[in-house]
Amino acid sequence: MNQFEPKIIAFLCNWCSYVAADAAGVSRFKQAPNIRAIRVFCSGMVDPGYVIKAFASGADAVLVAGCHTGDCHYISGNIKALRRSFLLDKLLTELGVEKGRFRLEWIAASESPRYAEVVNEIASEVKKLGPFLPSLASH
Amino acid sequence: MSKKKVAIYTATGCRTCENTVLDIHYQVSDLSRYFDVLFWPYVLGSQLEDQDKIDDLDFSFYAGAVCTESDRQVAIRLREKSKIMVTIGACASFGGMPGLADLLARGNPESFSGDNAVRPESIPCLPGTEAQVSALFQVVDVDYDIPGCPPTQNLVWAAIQAFSGWSASTSNLSCAASRLPESIAQAIVSGVLPPRKSMFAGEKAVCASCSRIKEEKKFSDAKRFYENYEATGRCLLEQGLICQGIATREGCGGICTGAGLPCRGCFGKPPAVYDPGAKMVSAISSTFDCEKAGEIKKIVEKFNDLTGTFYRYNLPSQCELLRALRGNL
Repeated sequence: MNQFEPKIIAFLCNWCSYVAADAAGVSRFKQAPNIRAIRVFCSGMVDPGYVIKAFASGADAVLVAGCHTGDCHYISGNIKALRRSFLLDKLLTELGVEKGRFRLEWIAASESPRYAEVVNEIASEVKKLGPFLPSLASH
Repeated sequence: MSKKKVAIYTATGCRTCENTVLDIHYQVSDLSRYFDVLFWPYVLGSQLEDQDKIDDLDFSFYAGAVCTESDRQVAIRLREKSKIMVTIGACASFGGMPGLADLLARGNPESFSGDNAVRPESIPCLPGTEAQVSALFQVVDVDYDIPGCPPTQNLVWAAIQAFSGWSASTSNLSCAASRLPESIAQAIVSGVLPPRKSMFAGEKAVCASCSRIKEEKKFSDAKRFYENYEATGRCLLEQGLICQGIATREGCGGICTGAGLPCRGCFGKPPAVYDPGAKMVSAISSTFDCEKAGEIKKIVEKFNDLTGTFYRYNLPSQCELLRALRGNL
């Protein structure tokens, strides 16, 4: 039987987390190959609609990663992402998205080992949870 | 001009939409000059069998969500016979409040209904329910929608004129058409049918026609309506109430918000909004007046039943996650 390979959508902020992801690759850190990275300018621009659309289109998990508090290139974009995350998490839970499928992380440009760690954590967690939309798992 | 042959029916719903058909002021006395209503259980006491006697219909108003087998059968039969099929009300257009039943896994209570019911013949049985509640367009092809819970009078009046070719005075027409998109309004005024699949409602969000003063939105607490309403004329969302105007289609003219009642979303989502729940999460979160995770968490804990609030009238058809889970991608 084929092992379930989750699809994980990662919204990575241009200034910190995307750089970390890039560096993690260059540094050859071992990471799960399940990530589909989407570079965004700021974690604050990731509308809750994007996250819901990702799940509705067949993603098994969504990661939103941005700069640490105080480090935002746009001063407070990451705070906006933080504010939304709690209510969004609550709505997703009510609609049947299990805890662990949606995650908000702060990963600075210099923290490439941390990026690899987060990716591996999510991948192993979601593998345990199984596909979000079973009918789409084969695609 | 010959009378238009019409059917009016409510499936799983409260029948208020049928009342709004009669809520057209003095014009109601002329209704019978233009309409020949052949099937209307609520007012004429028609039986379901009466549908078979009808050869064809000019248009049908279908209200209520499709929740039972008989709802589905009537929908299919009315569709076959009608030239124009119109949903009236949020239930038929989007699934409405009966659609919230989809949040629960359901089964019929066996002793009362279903094929294997154990009951004496004298006890009437409940109709079998479908696995999922549907909006009418998820069951049959729909030509026009009149949203709202119930639809506002001017929109119903505009629709009646559009389908009946009933030309009223210009002032009446302009009042009815003023809240409609130009394409629909012009069609009604010039006596032709509006573009198929159009919705008798506006295109923007309720905020566009809401009369309240909108300033910087900041609050640090979630409140229920009775806890925190000030008659200051300020935006209700800014006052810490959950007003869904921002994620709801315009057309009502902001009558609820004008009276101080937060919008509940009965016109469904406007075309520019992807998912009403996501939009509301974004709108409400942006008003939180704090930056620490702990403080935000504390506010969020006060919110109850986000799904039932944000998707109150449109869970079966406009909640993208649920649609994906249903396999209607």
